[in-house]
Amino acid sequence: MANNILEVKNLKISFRTNSGTVKAVRNISFNLQKGETLAIVGESGSGKSVTSKAILGILAGNSIVEGGEILYDGRDLLKITEEEMCKIRGDKISMIFQDPLSSLDPIVKIGKQITEAMLLKNKTNRKRARAEFNTTLRYLKEAMLASAARTDKSEDQIAEMIKTFDDFNILAIRLENSYNAARAYAEELKAQLENFLYMAEKKQKLDVKRDLGEYIQTLGRVKDDFLTAGYDAQLASTIATLERCRSGYKAPIGKDGKPQTYVLSAELTEALKDLVENLLTEILERPQPNFFRIGYYVYKNPNVVLDKRDINALNEMAVKYLDETYMAEFIKYETMAIRYSAEKSLECKKKVLDELAKARDYFLNTPRIEKGATKEVVAALCKVVESSIDRLEYNKDNIAYTFSSSLKTAANKYFTYEKLNPKEERRYARQSAKREALIARGKKIDWKVVPKNVYDLEDLRDDCVSVIDRLERKYKADIENFESRDFDKNAVGLIDYLKAHASEVVYKITKRMAKEKAIKLMEEVGIPEPRTRYNQYPFEFSGGMRQRIVIAIALVANPDILICDEPTTALDVTIQSQILELINKIKKERQLSIIFITHDLGVVANMADRIGVMYAGKIVEYGTSEDIFYSPAHPYTWALLSSMPDLDTNEKLEAIPGTPPNMIYPPVGDAFAERNKYALKVDFEVQPPMFKISETHSAATWLLHPDAPKVDMPKIIKERIARMNEKGGNEDV
Amino acid sequence: MSDKKYPEVQTGEVLLKVEELSQHFGPLKAVDKVSFDIKKGEVFGLVGESGCGKTTTGRTIIKLYNPTGGNVYFKGQRIGAGLLGYKEAIKSANAQAKEEVAALEADSKANPDKKAENDKTIAEINAKLKETISENKKAMARAKRENANVDRDLVTQIQMIFQDPVASLNPRMTVREIIAEGMVIKGIKDKKYIDEQVYDVLDKVGLVREHAGRYPHEFSGGQKQRIGIARSVVMRPEMIIADEPVSALDVSVQAQVINLLNELREELGLTILFIAHDLSVVKYFSDRIGVMYFGKMVELADSDELFRNPMHPYTRSLLSAIPLPDPNYEKTRQRITYAPLRDHDYSVEKPSFREVVPGHFVLCSDSEEKKYRESVEG
Repeated sequence: MANNILEVKNLKISFRTNSGTVKAVRNISFNLQKGETLAIVGESGSGKSVTSKAILGILAGNSIVEGGEILYDGRDLLKITEEEMCKIRGDKISMIFQDPLSSLDPIVKIGKQITEAMLLKNKTNRKRARAEFNTTLRYLKEAMLASAARTDKSEDQIAEMIKTFDDFNILAIRLENSYNAARAYAEELKAQLENFLYMAEKKQKLDVKRDLGEYIQTLGRVKDDFLTAGYDAQLASTIATLERCRSGYKAPIGKDGKPQTYVLSAELTEALKDLVENLLTEILERPQPNFFRIGYYVYKNPNVVLDKRDINALNEMAVKYLDETYMAEFIKYETMAIRYSAEKSLECKKKVLDELAKARDYFLNTPRIEKGATKEVVAALCKVVESSIDRLEYNKDNIAYTFSSSLKTAANKYFTYEKLNPKEERRYARQSAKREALIARGKKIDWKVVPKNVYDLEDLRDDCVSVIDRLERKYKADIENFESRDFDKNAVGLIDYLKAHASEVVYKITKRMAKEKAIKLMEEVGIPEPRTRYNQYPFEFSGGMRQRIVIAIALVANPDILICDEPTTALDVTIQSQILELINKIKKERQLSIIFITHDLGVVANMADRIGVMYAGKIVEYGTSEDIFYSPAHPYTWALLSSMPDLDTNEKLEAIPGTPPNMIYPPVGDAFAERNKYALKVDFEVQPPMFKISETHSAATWLLHPDAPKVDMPKIIKERIARMNEKGGNEDV
Repeated sequence: MSDKKYPEVQTGEVLLKVEELSQHFGPLKAVDKVSFDIKKGEVFGLVGESGCGKTTTGRTIIKLYNPTGGNVYFKGQRIGAGLLGYKEAIKSANAQAKEEVAALEADSKANPDKKAENDKTIAEINAKLKETISENKKAMARAKRENANVDRDLVTQIQMIFQDPVASLNPRMTVREIIAEGMVIKGIKDKKYIDEQVYDVLDKVGLVREHAGRYPHEFSGGQKQRIGIARSVVMRPEMIIADEPVSALDVSVQAQVINLLNELREELGLTILFIAHDLSVVKYFSDRIGVMYFGKMVELADSDELFRNPMHPYTRSLLSAIPLPDPNYEKTRQRITYAPLRDHDYSVEKPSFREVVPGHFVLCSDSEEKKYRESVEG
C-alpha cells in the first residue's frame, strides 16, 4: 500500500519498575493512511498513550522498546538518532496532549509559547530544506551528467540548466510569498471590517478611533505588484478618506448622557462599505498569477516591466515562454536522468537479490551463528542494499531505507538474548524454588514470582530472516513492475517535490508575521479577543481555552501527522464539538493524518475512519467505525459501548466490573477474560488470535472461533443498534 | 424587601431554594440572578459550558463563597444572603429622590410663589429616602449577621463531591483520616464510633475495610472518586452537590460511579445537585435540568421535556453538540451555533425568566415567548 504514511509493526514496549517489568504494549501493529483518522480507544492504562509517545520518541526513561518498528518517511522512528527525531517531532508529527495544565509553561506568556516553536523551527527548516533541495538537485545533476554522456549536451550546459532551475525557482517563490502576505492582509481586513460594520449595525460598543487606526495600518500593507496592480490610486484615496474620518471622529452623545460609540458618520460608513464590497472583493477575486512560470520570465528578463493588470494574459505569456525556452528541454533531460538512475538501481537490485539469498542461507542454515561473522555478513549486505537505492525516487521506499537498521537491530537482539536468557532462567528457577520452599514451610506468601523474560532464539533468528524476506519481496515486485513505470509522471513529480522544498527555503517568518499567524490561529481555534489574550499567562485561561492554545501550538508547524491524546476529555460538549469540527476541518484542508486517542466512543464516531480498540497493551478489535459501532464483536467493545449512556438510555448502565489486570503479570489467556461475563474456559488458557470477520474488520476473541458457542451481544447495545438502524433507515426513505 | 417579593418557602416539598443568586468577582458576573429550587429527593442537573458559572453556583450554595446578591434557603432557613439587592435598592432610591428634588427645585426657580410648598415636599422626600436607606442598611446588617452565624449543623447537611478526585484528596492523609475529618471537625471524639462509620461507608461505596489505612495515591481514579463520595456521604447529608463527579474518569469507570450514585440516592434518599457538562450523563441521571449560559439561567425543565422540546437557542445548540456512538448520524450531524447577538434582539424588550409551558422556564422576551408558545402548540 503506497499511501501508508505511518506503519507500526509488532511494537512491544515495557517499563522497568521496582516491582518488575510492566508490559505496556504487547505486540501491536497498525497503519495510518494519508488523510485518514485512526482512533485508538481504550481505558487508561491500556497502552494507548504509550504507543503515541513511542511514535514521537518521548517515552519515559525507564521504558524498554522490546521490538517492532515505526516506519515513517523511509525511516524507522525507533532507531533514528535524537537529532533526526528533532526534525520530525513537532514538525512532521505533532501532538495534542491530554492535560492542558501541564503542557503549557506557567511563566511564559501565551503568545511567546505559540510563536516560539514557529520561529525556531522556521530557522532550522530553512536550512534543512536548503540541504535537501541541494542534495536532490545534486543527485539529479549527477544522473543527468551520466545520462547526458549519450547525448549532445556538454557538462557545462547541464550545470547551467540546473542552476537556472534552482535560481528561478527561488525567485518565483519570493514573488509568491510577497503576494500571499498581501493577500492574507486583504482577507483579514475584509473579515474585520465585516465584523465592525455588523457590530455597528447591532449597536454594540465600539472603539472607533483605535479600530480605524488598525484598519488603516492593515490596508497600507495590502500592497503587492501582482495583487493590487491598477488599484493603487483607489487604495490611496480610501486611506486618505479613512484618515480624515478618524481624525475628525467624535462619538455623539445619546439621550442617557453616554456617548453612542456605534454611530458612524455617513461618509465613514459609505467608505467602509465601499472598501469591503467593492475594492477588497475585486482585489481578492482577481485570478492568481502562476508564479512558477512568471518567476522564470522575470529571471530571464529582469529589466522588462510587466503589465500586471491582466493576470490571465500574463499567465499565458509566461507559460508559453517557459515551455518554449526551457521547460520542455529540462523535462526531457530530467526524464532521461530519472530513467538512467532507475535502470542503474534496477541492476543493483538484481545483484542484491543474490546477496539476500546468500544471507538468508547463512541465517537459516548455520548451526551456530557467531557474532563476528554475522557482523561482517550484515555489514556487507547493508552496503550493497544502500547502493541499490534509487535516490531520485521522491516517494521514499521505507523498506530499503530502513533495511540496514532493522537488520542490525534484529541481529543485535539475537546476541543480547543469547547472553541474557540463561541468566533469566536461573533467576526464575531461584525465585520459584524460594517460593516453593516457603510454601512448604507453611508460610503465607503475598508475592508472585516475576515471570521470566526470555526469548526463543529460533524466533529471533527468524526475525532476521523476515527482514531479509521483506526486502526481497519488495525488490522482486520492483523488478517486475519496472516496465510499467511512467517516467514522465515521475519527472513532473520530482519537480513538484523540488518546488515544495524551495518554498520552504524562502519562507522566512519574522516576529511580526509569527504574531499575526499566532493570532489568526488563536482565532481559528476559537479564542475570543486573541489580541488581548496574546499577552496573557496560562493561568488567566480557563481549561477549555488552555486546550485550545495547546491545539494552536500543535498546528503551528503544519504537521503531516497529528496525534491527539484525549484532546477533548477536559472540555465540555459545545467546545468539544467545536474542537472536533476544527480538527476535522484542518484535517481536510491540510490533508492531515490523525491518530486520535480517547476513551470516549461517542467522540470517535464523529471523527474516525478506522478504530482500534486496545486493552491491556493489545489491539483486541480493529475495523472501520461502521464495523465497530454497528457490529461490534469483542466482549470488551460491547462492555465499553454499554457502559456509556446515550440519550435514550433509561435502564441501569452495565459497568465493567473490576479493574484492568496488573501488567507486571500479564494474564496467560485473553487479558479481558477476568472481567468478561462471556469468557469461555479457553480464554483463561490461550491467547486468542485475531479472527478476520471481514476485509476491514477483525477481533481477537475466541467467541469468533467456529467451535465457540453462539453468544449474543448485550441487550442494551442490541437495542441501540436496532434504534440506530431504524433511524438510518428512515432517513433513506 | 425579599419577604414581600417572594412567597414563603414551602417546607417539605422544596429542600433548597435559590433566588436571584448573584456572585460577582469584581466586574465579572460569574453568576447573575439565578433562581431555581430543588425538591426533596430529586436530582437537579445543572449544565452549561465551562466558565458559565455552574460550579460557582454550587460553591456559593455550600458557602465556599459568600454570595454577592440574592438568597439561598435550605429547609426554609436562609443560609446565604447577598447584599447586592439592598445596595441596588439604596442606589435606585437615591437616584429617584435626586431626580424628584431636582425637578422640584427647577419648579421653585420658575415659580417663586410655589417655593414654600416645594420645599416641604423636598423635605418629605428626603425623610422618606433616609427611612428607606436605614431600612435597607438594617437588612444588610441582618444579612451579614446571618451569613456569619449560619447554623453549622444545617450547612453540614449539604455535602460536596469535587470534580478532580486527585486534587481533592489530601495526599498526606490516609483514607480513614480523609473520611473521618468531617466528623472530627464536628467534635466527635469516639474513635470506635468513627471507625465504624468509616468502614460502614467504605462498604457502601464499594471499597473494603483494608483500604482505610492506605493513602490516596494507591488508588485508581474511579476508586479515588469513590473515596470522595464516601467522605461526603459519611456526614449523612440530605443533599449532595456533585460538581462534575465523573468527567475526569474513564467511560467504563464513569458507569460504575453513576451506578453508585444512583444506588446511594435510593438507599439514603439523597437530593442531588448534579453539575456536569456531559449531556448524555445528565439526561440519564437527572429529573430536572437547568441550562446556564454566561452566568444566567436560560432554560429549566424536566429532563425529558428539555430534550424533547428545547426552546432557547443556546439549549438547542448545546443539544446539537452531543456526540453519539453512531457514525452515520455523526457524519450528517449539523451543529447549531449560538450567537447571542444574532439570535436575540433585546434592544427593545428586556428578557426575563418565565414559565412558557408549565414546569418549563425560559429566559426570553415577550415576542420570543409568543414564538416558543406557538412552536409548542404547533
